[in-house]
Amino acid sequence: MKRGRPSLRQDVRTIGALMRRGLNEILRVPGGAIPGVLAPTIFMLGLSAAFGEAARLPGFDADDFRTFIVPVGMLQGAGFTGAATGVNLARDIERGWFDRLLLAPAGRPVLLAGVVGSACLRCLLPASFLLIVAFALGVSWPGVGALVLAGLLIMSLAAAAACYATVLALRFRTQQAAPLMQVGAFASILFTTAYVPRELLSDWLRAIADVNPVTHVLEGVRQGFVGDVSWASTWPALLAVAGLVTVFGTLAVRGMRRQGV
Amino acid sequence: MTAATVALARRALRNSFRRPQFLAPLVLFPTMFLAVNVGGLERTTSLAGFPQVDGFLDFQLAAAITQSLLLGGVSAGIAAALDIEGGFFDRLAASPTPRLAIVLGRLLAASVIAALQVVYFLVLGAIFGASVKGGVLGVLCVLAIGVVAGTGFGALGVMIALRARSASTVQGIFPLVFVVLFVSTAFFPANLLSPPADVVAAYNPLSYIADGLRQPIAFGNALEPLLEALAAAAGVAIAATSLSVLALRGRLRQA
Amino acid sequence: MPAFNTFARLLLRLAPERSCACNIIGRIAAIEVIGLQREFKGGVKAVDGIDLEVASGEVFGFLGPNGAGKTTTVRMLVTLLRPTGGHAHVAGFDVADEPAQVRRRIGVALQDAALDPLMTGSELIELQATLHGIAPHTFRTRGAELIERVGLSQAADRRVGTYSGGMRRRLDLAMALIHAPEVLFLDEPTTGLDPTSRLTLWDEVRRLRDEGTTVFLTTQYLEEADQLADRLGIIAAGRIVAGGTPAALKSEIGTPHLDLVLTDRSDLRRAREVVAGFGDQRPATDGCHLSIGLAHGAADIAPILRALDDAGFAVAELELKQPTLDDVFLAKTGEHLEGAAEAEPEPELV
Repeated sequence: MKRGRPSLRQDVRTIGALMRRGLNEILRVPGGAIPGVLAPTIFMLGLSAAFGEAARLPGFDADDFRTFIVPVGMLQGAGFTGAATGVNLARDIERGWFDRLLLAPAGRPVLLAGVVGSACLRCLLPASFLLIVAFALGVSWPGVGALVLAGLLIMSLAAAAACYATVLALRFRTQQAAPLMQVGAFASILFTTAYVPRELLSDWLRAIADVNPVTHVLEGVRQGFVGDVSWASTWPALLAVAGLVTVFGTLAVRGMRRQGV
Repeated sequence: MTAATVALARRALRNSFRRPQFLAPLVLFPTMFLAVNVGGLERTTSLAGFPQVDGFLDFQLAAAITQSLLLGGVSAGIAAALDIEGGFFDRLAASPTPRLAIVLGRLLAASVIAALQVVYFLVLGAIFGASVKGGVLGVLCVLAIGVVAGTGFGALGVMIALRARSASTVQGIFPLVFVVLFVSTAFFPANLLSPPADVVAAYNPLSYIADGLRQPIAFGNALEPLLEALAAAAGVAIAATSLSVLALRGRLRQA
Repeated sequence: MPAFNTFARLLLRLAPERSCACNIIGRIAAIEVIGLQREFKGGVKAVDGIDLEVASGEVFGFLGPNGAGKTTTVRMLVTLLRPTGGHAHVAGFDVADEPAQVRRRIGVALQDAALDPLMTGSELIELQATLHGIAPHTFRTRGAELIERVGLSQAADRRVGTYSGGMRRRLDLAMALIHAPEVLFLDEPTTGLDPTSRLTLWDEVRRLRDEGTTVFLTTQYLEEADQLADRLGIIAAGRIVAGGTPAALKSEIGTPHLDLVLTDRSDLRRAREVVAGFGDQRPATDGCHLSIGLAHGAADIAPILRALDDAGFAVAELELKQPTLDDVFLAKTGEHLEGAAEAEPEPELV
């Protein structure tokens, strides 16, 4: 048996195998998918039922409140999926399964890529369900280009959220850190132009939204739903997710490298 | 019975305070929601049909309190489910502890935590400029409604735990909490809700509870909404407690 | 041996993929540990300077009670825990400096057979093979062979959540072997198993030894160490207290002993005085009243019984016991192996 460093092909296979395992939580646990898949749609429906009249405010630049907050639901799906990835990792650590991964010859970044990659795939499930319900309720079709861009952005956001949650999982090594993971995802998405355009936010929330990179991601996803996709709204979104993935990805890799020897 | 109930309540409270990571979400999430709702939707108070309030915070505090109390119920359910999973429940059942005390102890703890949750949000509101128009009496009314409602939600959580027996199942109802809350007048006035939420809200006990909590804070004391809120809260509490006791009997029969 | 080992390690560095070079050379120590230490928070030394050497192809038993430091030692040797002192080489590579090289050459079945309950046995084998870089066409064949070998053919396509404890251990072993490791670490592999499953696992360990795999086996069971190990290290409170073959260790302790149960235990002090001259008296266990070392073996039995009879004591039961590893442990530490248990500290980072 050869004992050399794993080749690129072997690393890709390892990442694929770990991503497949990450999907088991949805595919093999009865009802396991339901909270994560349904939650963003529930929020979207609930928020539009409760606050729908906010669309009558002068300066609200969308046909209706529901269309305006559909992108929020998509980002929430990505955020919750990322947080769930961290919770699952914490569970694997508690149960000793993570030791098995650490004992593999695969490099730590490869293991991380497998864990995070599954989040990128899984986030498409709540987003797809949300869009199906939204379109059924009359939200207008944003176009294929806008949807592809939205998909790319939310997958990247899920990756960043998964890295963030991984850092916490490696630090605390227990599922009890789950609320910290969820709150981080929750807050980063809500303290943006989630409910109303920037001009209608109160001063303090506008100040936070202006410095929150997730605001750009949200606007990048939203643009096709409320108007046309433009490069001016796209490049800040791409830069923001790239930055988030870089920062949290670096922290996560560092955290992984500290595990074991 | 009383001694056992108090002892079990003290244990539940001790365990809660020793695990702040379980308590924190009860106030953290509603606080975040409150902040975002107020910061994002402040200007909706200018919409035609919106009741006269000093600020959107005055209006939203009741929603935050109601949401927090509901999450408290989920938390009580998770704690009960962990007791069942971990074998503590079986240990109690095999002891001379009065059966009812197993449920009542948990509910007593829930009522104490509910009181603390209400106080937290009243203080938070005061810090950020809201005030209770109903004065001291108003504060007491809010506390009373909150404690009764929190006890009822706790009973619901315990009932689910006794039936489901698994903490992760109880946790899975977390999104449903928001469903029920959204189709009520907790977040927005009844006349400004979109259909069919406006229809559902008219029959949703959370609407009466939230309106009752809101009345002393935003508008001043008035008997009718306060009585309706207490009745709704008491109704939920009585029904949920009865269902919990039935679930407990069913569980013990199966053992 | 140290100079030879250094030369052999140099060869490995020049050609790390050619681990068969080691097998051809055949005499490099599979595991070499010098002064290994692990200190946890609060100054607790779970492993306090141990030295050991495991030859290639042997079954090395690491025996000790709970809390002695067995699992901590294993975790250091398999690169899950960084030593805080000393050195260790596994399969020719330093565990601290070259952990990746070590991981490519070892198989590990830890104390908790941590398996994903949502996956089937076949899927887990496949995942393990993938993690170890084994090509699909290779691992399918090898995986099927291993599943057959550990007796899980019928259950391979069932989810692991439905497996019994014995089945989980066997699957864990199969997963540890999928990449044909040079050194296999088994951390208390039979704890919690029923007798039948335990014997099955023992047979498997013997087979592995016959095939040339080095096995590092930790156990708290005397019989297991006695049956399986070519050589033993006995650890207590983080230190090796004895080492050698089981036979050599037992004969070092020396003599058999006689356990007696008297019909009347009201005057044990006088009974002990009666037998004092016949041999060393030991702490009595297992319900016996007197336990006497027999310097001359069975020949001492009759005189002891006569002396007790003359003094008015009647013997209800007697048992002649050969030295056991527990006797070795007792001689070295002053405690019985089974009575010396305490929880191992949680592996917190220092």
